[in-house]
Amino acid sequence: MSERNDQFSTRWGILLAAIGMAVGTGNIWRFPRVAAANGGGSFLIAWLVFMFAWSVPLVLSEFALGKHTRRGPAGAVGHLIGGRYNWLGAFVGLCTCFIMFYYSVVTGWCIKYFFATVSGGFGGVDQQTYWENLTTSNYQPVLFHFLALVIGCFIISRGVVKGIERTNRFLIPILFVLLVVAAIRAVTLPNAISGLAFLFTPEWNQLLSHKVWLEALSQSAWSVGAAWGLVMTYGVYLKKKDAFVRTSYTVAFGDYSASLLAGIAIMCTVYAVLPQAQAELALQSGNEGLTFIWLPQLFQQIPAGQLFLALFFLALSFAAMSSLIAMIEMATRIGVDLGMTREKAVPLVGVTAFVLGLPSAWKLGFFQNQDWVWGLGLIVSGLFISLAVIKYGAGRFRDELINTEDERHPAGRWYVFVIKYVIPIEFLALMIWWFYQAVAVYDPEGWWNPFHTLSLGTTLGQWLLLIAVLVLLNRWWAARVGAKEGG
Amino acid sequence: MSASGWIMMTVVLVLVWGGFVYLLLETAKHDRD
Repeated sequence: MSERNDQFSTRWGILLAAIGMAVGTGNIWRFPRVAAANGGGSFLIAWLVFMFAWSVPLVLSEFALGKHTRRGPAGAVGHLIGGRYNWLGAFVGLCTCFIMFYYSVVTGWCIKYFFATVSGGFGGVDQQTYWENLTTSNYQPVLFHFLALVIGCFIISRGVVKGIERTNRFLIPILFVLLVVAAIRAVTLPNAISGLAFLFTPEWNQLLSHKVWLEALSQSAWSVGAAWGLVMTYGVYLKKKDAFVRTSYTVAFGDYSASLLAGIAIMCTVYAVLPQAQAELALQSGNEGLTFIWLPQLFQQIPAGQLFLALFFLALSFAAMSSLIAMIEMATRIGVDLGMTREKAVPLVGVTAFVLGLPSAWKLGFFQNQDWVWGLGLIVSGLFISLAVIKYGAGRFRDELINTEDERHPAGRWYVFVIKYVIPIEFLALMIWWFYQAVAVYDPEGWWNPFHTLSLGTTLGQWLLLIAVLVLLNRWWAARVGAKEGG
Repeated sequence: MSASGWIMMTVVLVLVWGGFVYLLLETAKHDRD
């Protein structure tokens, strides 16, 4: 790839690519259910707080790490604070790679449902059967997983400007238009007001519930794309004069805006069509249940429902694809940082993601296991990034790497406070809570068993295995990426 | 929807959507610089 093609060409290019990275399926299928189940308006207050108490500071840190070191997660941390600590950044990158393996399966499902809707329906079977037929089929999820990766790898092979920037210039404005159309359609349905009431009416006593705050923190952490290593990768392609503080705020506000649009569209549709008891059942049916089983049924009951269902799955496919290409780019960057050419790294990433995504395409249980283990792993990634900044000196990091001379909107002292104190405390609180859930709620009998889908054993086992491998390889890896000596 | 619901909806949408549109306009302004 030419040097000229190695950097984003405009601020809009950076911004749209970063918003595309952030806005994914989680905005559309997770936010509405979680907000409605956790006190509506009260949840929204907590969710807004964590934009500044987790997501924005980590996005700022990632941009600065990528831009300053000119390396993705494979080498940025080692280059900043010394090779001894390089494995911290490598964990961030590989955690997101494990997410990419199953996320391309999810992207494939979205594309499959879009095609099914456009081609006239679901073959005369009910939604539950259609979903079960798809997820138990040996070849269909594999075919669409393959298709998602081929599209993603083709875009990435075109480079930063012609691939990532051009694609997001097209995908993201259309995605927002689709979400606005869906939200307007939904609020004009009879009884849509009940959906708005569930989404926005605050239950003030819920603000005293730790569960509401922890769910809000999880949603913000997963949704904005902080600590995935993706922003760090895009940071590599910033020009020296490119400032990024306002861009970081815009990414967070853009992501939250998309969540609210999706929340309004889904909640109003659910409550317009279903009686309250059934609406609650639909919202409790999980991400896949709500999106692939309930929503197609609901859309068929509203005027021009087929058209709006097609638009909905198109939006979902665009959201998924814009995030998937960021993950493929990050994985490609790991290869490039380790000394590979981009031309070799892209197909290698594509083949690896296809093969390692197959178990998730074939077994829903394996998919759920990976989603649980590596989704939670992102919280560890957040801690590792904050530890790297703390080791460098959070104040020094802010002064030297964020508030550069070209930065018109310098980050305030709050950044240092959040990175040094708030994020480590949030990490501890989230871990204790999620582990408690694993032991007490999800799998009380087999919580220790590493082969159970949602057990504590499987989570710690897979994390520790990855960390052990990275620590063992650290000296070799740090040398390959040109990390600073020692640490 | 109760009054508190309407107020919360207005505050959240103005803050989040308003903030996003403001930041986009700022980006557009400075992109011309």
